[in-house]
Amino acid sequence: MKRLPPVAGEWIDRTKPLSFMFEGEPVDGFAGDTISSAVAAGGARILGRSFKYHRPRGFLSAADHDVNAMVQVEGEGHSVPNVRADVVRATAGVRVTVVNTRGGLKKDRLSILNRLSRFLPVGFYYKAFHSKRLFPRWEQMFRDITGLGVVDLESAHRPTPKRYDFCDVLVIGAGPSGLAAAAEAASRGAKVLLVDETAALGGSGLYARGGEEVAAELRALIDAVSTHPNIRVLLSSFAAGYYADHWVPVVTPEAMVKVRARAVVLAQGAYEQPAVFRGNDLPGVMLASAAQRLLYRYAIAPANSIVVLTANCQGYAAALDARRHGIRVVAVLDIRQQPGPESARVAEALKSNGVRLLSGVVPIEATAATDGTLNGFVFSSSGSRESVTIDGLWMSVGFAPANPLLHQAGGTVRYERSIEQFVPDQLPPGLQVCGKIAGVYRFNERLADGQRAGADAAFSLGFGSAPSIAALKAPSESPSHGYPIFPHPKAKEFVDFDEDLQIKDVVNACQEGFDSTELLKRYSTMGMGPSQGKHSNLNALRILARVRGEGLEQHSLTTARPMFHPVPISHLAGRGFSPERHTPVDAAHAALGAVWMPAGNWRRPEYYRVAGRTREEAIAEEVRAVRQGLGLIDVGTLGKIEAHGPKAGEFLDRIYTARYSNLKVGMTRYGLMLDESGVVIDDGVIARLDPETFYFTTTTGNSATLFREFGRLASLWGLPVGLVNLTGHYAAFNLAGPFARKVLQSLTDADLSDGAFPYLAVREANVAGVPCRLMRVGFVGELGYEIHMPADFGPHLWQVLMAAGAAHGIRPFGVEAQRMLRLEKGHLIVGQDTDGVTNALEIDAPWALKMDKPFFIGQRSLVVLAKQPLKQTLIGFRLADGVTQRPRECHLVIEQGSIAGRVTSVGRSPTLNHVIGLALVRPDVATRGEFQIRIDGGQMVSATRIALPFYDAAGERQKLGDPA
Amino acid sequence: MSTVLPSLPAIRQSPIEAWIETKCSGEALREQMRQPTRLGLEVPTGTAVTLTEVSWRRRLGLKGPQAERWLGSQQLTVPAPANSYAVTDGVMVARLATSEFLVEALLPAAQARIASLATQLYGVSRTSGVYAVPRQDLVVELSGPALGALLRQVCSVDFEPMLGVAAPEGPLVLTSMVGVGVVAVPIGGDGRPGFTLWADPSFGHYFWTTLIEVAADLKGGVRLDAFNAG
Repeated sequence: MKRLPPVAGEWIDRTKPLSFMFEGEPVDGFAGDTISSAVAAGGARILGRSFKYHRPRGFLSAADHDVNAMVQVEGEGHSVPNVRADVVRATAGVRVTVVNTRGGLKKDRLSILNRLSRFLPVGFYYKAFHSKRLFPRWEQMFRDITGLGVVDLESAHRPTPKRYDFCDVLVIGAGPSGLAAAAEAASRGAKVLLVDETAALGGSGLYARGGEEVAAELRALIDAVSTHPNIRVLLSSFAAGYYADHWVPVVTPEAMVKVRARAVVLAQGAYEQPAVFRGNDLPGVMLASAAQRLLYRYAIAPANSIVVLTANCQGYAAALDARRHGIRVVAVLDIRQQPGPESARVAEALKSNGVRLLSGVVPIEATAATDGTLNGFVFSSSGSRESVTIDGLWMSVGFAPANPLLHQAGGTVRYERSIEQFVPDQLPPGLQVCGKIAGVYRFNERLADGQRAGADAAFSLGFGSAPSIAALKAPSESPSHGYPIFPHPKAKEFVDFDEDLQIKDVVNACQEGFDSTELLKRYSTMGMGPSQGKHSNLNALRILARVRGEGLEQHSLTTARPMFHPVPISHLAGRGFSPERHTPVDAAHAALGAVWMPAGNWRRPEYYRVAGRTREEAIAEEVRAVRQGLGLIDVGTLGKIEAHGPKAGEFLDRIYTARYSNLKVGMTRYGLMLDESGVVIDDGVIARLDPETFYFTTTTGNSATLFREFGRLASLWGLPVGLVNLTGHYAAFNLAGPFARKVLQSLTDADLSDGAFPYLAVREANVAGVPCRLMRVGFVGELGYEIHMPADFGPHLWQVLMAAGAAHGIRPFGVEAQRMLRLEKGHLIVGQDTDGVTNALEIDAPWALKMDKPFFIGQRSLVVLAKQPLKQTLIGFRLADGVTQRPRECHLVIEQGSIAGRVTSVGRSPTLNHVIGLALVRPDVATRGEFQIRIDGGQMVSATRIALPFYDAAGERQKLGDPA
Repeated sequence: MSTVLPSLPAIRQSPIEAWIETKCSGEALREQMRQPTRLGLEVPTGTAVTLTEVSWRRRLGLKGPQAERWLGSQQLTVPAPANSYAVTDGVMVARLATSEFLVEALLPAAQARIASLATQLYGVSRTSGVYAVPRQDLVVELSGPALGALLRQVCSVDFEPMLGVAAPEGPLVLTSMVGVGVVAVPIGGDGRPGFTLWADPSFGHYFWTTLIEVAADLKGGVRLDAFNAG
């Protein structure tokens, strides 16, 4: 490896030298160098170690897929692991170390694994982990030796905010066909976004030159695209996935861009594939295209003396590129019996320069010097064995289309035998494919194909007239060999460079029964490394097909899931959006010492902290305040919905289990909601404000979902009901306790007397100047009023109520106190005392079920369920006085050693001064007076069934007169 | 049961009151809503992107099969297509659905008009096919040269064709922004180019602070409403 004199079009800027440390030694490079190219320019051939056997590795593709050259980059204030050295630009002053070594790149102690490979057969993960006894040992060992870099938690934060972008046509790939597609679509008026993974426009046209200058047509096209006002270009950026409606995440160096395109052109080209022979992974053996990239992008001669192992005209062209830069071409070895016509034309130029050309060559092995790098090649030709001394072996035996996005988009492919490649078969609407990915390899035809794809994409969006379709000439020679795979008795012919998988691994996996693409992948880990099989899947499939005695027509490649290319986790993280809702009184709660808890996507006060009190004591005081004086709770998180229209009552009759079309104006009624199977899904209070207007509540977590569902059902049933979601626009409090009426009456002109405003009534009235809806309900089991009002008046009214109640010891109370208050009253909470299978017959609330209605959701299921024995029922229980260890929610009820139910709510009642709870239990358990609950640690606690409610069975507290 | 009209002078409070409390000082009442008069971090006019909270403005929501007719009877310009708006004499009528409208006074001089409309609407029986929809939105005006960049970070809708346009009528967008449902109308403060967003007030604190965070990344920030800034 050495740096060449300036090469036209090189990507490095020789006016900007830079230095950094690589494995503890200084490296000099230039701006524009990647880490790998700078290191290689200094003469190094080993760039990293393989993942499994820790074999030395050098360049393979130099095309953003050299996963064996991963490094840790440390700089001022940051340390980044798993940086791909063939992609990331070198930066002055950083310290670079190779990951996955023990003792450094040159003296990696784990290279001993290379000698132990016979103990690590295919599928050894599964075979080793099969033993439960040995699993912990294996797990620890692999954790120790497979680390890829070190995450530095002290690294400086680097913002990577995601953003959206939009275009008419997204062209992915800026090689000749992609450029032509972009230019054509733009010329028709479409707004084009052109994305390419590399740092420059031109793709393989810039380096696969066959010893010539860059084609004039390509230069002109690059100029046209660069200056076209309808084209925006994103370089060093790649499309990492393909989602519905042409939504494509594009990973730029800074952040992820989520592109919404109206049409997409895939022009990503093809990945050159390695030949598979013993020693094909030695540093110095590389793809011919890798060598060409090094020559023309970074002005690096990858070797002094090479052999080109080929099966296509591209290999011969690469030999011309080598000669142009002073590299000695020992021979061009064609594994075909004879070159195709295009190869033969290029070969003439080599032959005239004295380059040895051989056909029908069978590779035997590449040999290594003591440092592990390539020093020779052994092959057979015409039955005789021959060795050559070289330091470079360039492979050009075929290509695999870069079609992961095509698969993700829903496109299908078929195997085209004439070019030994999978080509597109069916394309989804709005997607075009062109160039090598479509099996078109010749330069002029790639331009024509790109132009066709750009025209089709633009025309599909209404830009320009229908394009004329020019037929492309059939290729005279296949760019790919059908089986460039050469087993060796001593193995080490690598199919997958990420996972160090050899031919025998594929064969053995097939023989063990894992003989389909999907099974082979998972069993062998083929294609599951960072490069996602870009250089291995096709060769593995060729081996699989041969073992099964089939053609590739009977097989298909797996679909690489998004992101199909390595994406920095920082890019995936970006800025996250997690909406949190606050009630209008949030600030007042904070000022009162609220301890927050999440409730759906809201935050609510769990309780209010009191100096000198524990959490339990503070909650108990809140409970006592409501029972004996006055409490105020913010219930603004409840879903709050209006239903309008003459059919609103009928609508609610269908939604809820009770009847509302006969509900009197000015009254409320409990609402229980079921799903089609009769399972309880929500509850609330329904108030009738006038003959055509209902106002009702849902549980906190369900409000948004149910509102959408109500709209869907109204439409489905054809009921003209106007629905309004007031959840966020209304504040709501519950003023509860013996002094509730007295305090509220002091703030309103409305008559709150029992006669004028009875239990379960609803009224609209001003309270302290604020227009409110007042509902006299009793969830917590005391005289109480839910007060609902426009949100922006909420803080004002909260303050007024707190001030008015001060004389009666008003206390704000939180969710925990409310839970205990309603538990004392035996009221269930949907989702806590019920679960995803609890039906309405199991919660012991027959009064809420109006089975004589024509219809309500879940009614038909209840009819069926009523004929079957109950599976569980909700009951109340208490523990004996003096029990110190009490159950917790979800602790199990045990009957004769079997699970017979579970606790759904439990707590020590400050009012009753003993532990009470609710449990869903088997009916036979419910009939007994006593049952057992298993608590933490496996101890059993006896519980006694108690009829509900625990408190105020006569319901007198909600109808109390005002205290003196 | 009769509908109850707001009986002022109860004080309204902004959906971002908690933020105002910690960042601002001074206090003035505007349309009965507390508004700060000083803001330590206020950015100058012309900054990359600026956010101004204008929730204080009077607005009215209404819905029902007779809502369009009722608005027409009030001599308001009612946009014909759903998801569009029209502004006349500082009053915007936004059609959010076939029979749902948001009416807001964009200019100080038009506030009284909304109060008058509210009085009339609340006087109409809910059974007459038109009913009020309480709107307690957080309302934010956005403007500045980096507005497009901000919108591309917070929403998947392509707003580019609507930027720089402050037409008296045109399409509006109902979308999700940073995970919150919003109404987005392409008019900024005083009818200048920009965007005005209406968001559910319960998301107000999250929505506002998130937008500020994104704006700060773009070298933008918050401006007080001009009415109070002086």
